[in-house]
Amino acid sequence: MHRLRFALSSRFLLLLSFCWLAEAPAGFAANTDQLDLSSYRGKVVVVDFWASWCVPCRRSFPWLNQMQAKYADQGLVIVGVNMDAEPGEAEAFLEEFPADFRIVADPGGGLAKQFDVIAMPSSYVLDGNGQVVARHLGFKVKKQDEYEAAIQDALSQLEGN
Amino acid sequence: MHKYMSRIGLLVVIAFTAGCSSLGVEPWERDVLAKEEMQLVTDPVEAGIDDHIYFSKEASSGGRGFGGGGCGCN
Amino acid sequence: MPRQDKTAIAASLASATCSLLGTPAATPVQAQEEPGWDLNTALLYYGENDDRVQDVSLNLQAIRNFVDDRLLTLGLAVDTLTGATPSGAIPFDGPQTFTRPSARSTYTTPPNTIPLDDSFLDTRVAVNASWQQPLGRLYSIGAGLSASNEYDYMHMGANLKLSRDFNKRNTTVSAGLAIAMDDLSPVGGAPIPLSQMLGEDDRSNKTGDQSKDVFDVVVGLTQVINRNLLVQANYSYSNSSGYLNDPYKILSVVDGTSGDPVPAAPVPGEDFPSHLYLYENRPDERTKHSAYGQAKYYLSGKVLDVSYRYMTDDWEIDSHTIDARLRWPMGDRSYLEPHLRYYTQTAADFYRISLVDGEPLPSYASADYRLGEFDAVTVGMKYGWKLASGHEMSVRLEYYMQDGDAPPGQVIGNQALQELYPDLDAIIAQFSYRFGW
Repeated sequence: MHRLRFALSSRFLLLLSFCWLAEAPAGFAANTDQLDLSSYRGKVVVVDFWASWCVPCRRSFPWLNQMQAKYADQGLVIVGVNMDAEPGEAEAFLEEFPADFRIVADPGGGLAKQFDVIAMPSSYVLDGNGQVVARHLGFKVKKQDEYEAAIQDALSQLEGN
Repeated sequence: MHKYMSRIGLLVVIAFTAGCSSLGVEPWERDVLAKEEMQLVTDPVEAGIDDHIYFSKEASSGGRGFGGGGCGCN
Repeated sequence: MPRQDKTAIAASLASATCSLLGTPAATPVQAQEEPGWDLNTALLYYGENDDRVQDVSLNLQAIRNFVDDRLLTLGLAVDTLTGATPSGAIPFDGPQTFTRPSARSTYTTPPNTIPLDDSFLDTRVAVNASWQQPLGRLYSIGAGLSASNEYDYMHMGANLKLSRDFNKRNTTVSAGLAIAMDDLSPVGGAPIPLSQMLGEDDRSNKTGDQSKDVFDVVVGLTQVINRNLLVQANYSYSNSSGYLNDPYKILSVVDGTSGDPVPAAPVPGEDFPSHLYLYENRPDERTKHSAYGQAKYYLSGKVLDVSYRYMTDDWEIDSHTIDARLRWPMGDRSYLEPHLRYYTQTAADFYRISLVDGEPLPSYASADYRLGEFDAVTVGMKYGWKLASGHEMSVRLEYYMQDGDAPPGQVIGNQALQELYPDLDAIIAQFSYRFGW
């Protein structure tokens, strides 16, 4: 776990210096900002990579909404990173599975590469200092408690919690 | 003829396996592969019907593989 | 398929096991609605030329998605078969009389036509069930059972599958195993191989039930080449042992000069076959090796599916199969899919169009046209459409033609004047309906 932390956090430090993200396509409501993860210092950020064609993502969205609602006041921010090449597909997905959290688009895959995404979906838990403290490959309904525990863990480390 | 065919077949498999690690797409580039029509067996019922017909009328059977492709999720 | 095609069916059911093995019982529905149940039904009509086999069947497959990519697949197929099939006797310029397998009556065939044994009605019911689930993150396992039953045949089988992903799931290695145990109770009893076809009510050369076992292994490799191209290659091994004969198939014994069937000595007061016919005999073991490759290529909305299979066995049969399909979307909701298949096989080393009177009997001999040398072509078209409800329907119409030749070295005398190989023309028509529930 420590080795993973080191490997991921060293990459993430690189990431911070880039503040990269492609502009979200016009279809996404109010999501054309560039994603600046450093603006979330002091919060726990869950970065979730998803796509409209990814079936487990349909199961993960209701759960992510739940988590966002439950822990928002403790300092949790969820960012869904959409990997669709066609923005229309992502919009259709969001109509059926609405997100109560921020969605940004990464059609070129630049952010996914920086996070070294090896599975779809993937979610990364970032602590208050922007370090990756947990990574979850795939989304399994049976592991929801485990995913939630990682979030709670990171939240408990935040100052003021 | 058989010997050549099996040797060629073996070479193909070895070449495949050797070259495999450099081939493929990133996990987020599987939109096309996730489509139903891109699965190895698009219609299992039709495939089963055809297998049954050809097996009853010819001397060969099956041979089809399974697994792989798709969205690669989870 | 009619009772006479039982050995083929025996093999076909074994292959059904292997195709259960080789065909994913279910592909987890990709990027589709995830209903509790995914139901796929198909109604099939298969009809051959000249009053030969006709089959109407109903096929159902129900897939139940359980949480976290676990699937239960249940399948049911019911076939009703009618029609006639070549018995293996050779045609000649005169009528021929045969005893039915039941030995309760005889039938006569006209001159200059390939003798067909006109069948009985038969209904076959086949069921299968399988379970598939992930094991850890990168492994997937599956297990299944199959069974089928008809008047004179019973099959039971089990299969196991394992696959593992590599290279960010671009590469999948898979292996599967299937076993089948089949029991035959031929109508009238299994005949003593290479014994003579006797008269009505004479079952003295018939024995009882028989059985056969089949063992199949397949290993495969699936590789994503790029965003639009997926390929698969595999090797299969199959071993059948036990009673591999078709209990209803015969060979004519012919005169070494004229090539005409030798008349049988009539038995007074008994309806007896007109000529000398011997029941076939095949080895009691068969080992097959197959190599198979498939590619799926996506090109601006169209999908090309091409596959090739090579099979070789220890009966000296070699075959090549090339199959190509092109799915052509028409708008958002429908598609057209032309299909072309080419198949060719060489004859089994014990394939004989007839046996020569006076020559020593070979250990194995069969005149079953399905062990002969032939080419076959299938041309077809499928049209599918999606309803507003998300339900899918499709129709397909295909034409299957088989064209073979008797090995020239085996043609004797007057046989050259006859059509010796029962060329086949068949229509395949299918309607299917797929919906979630």
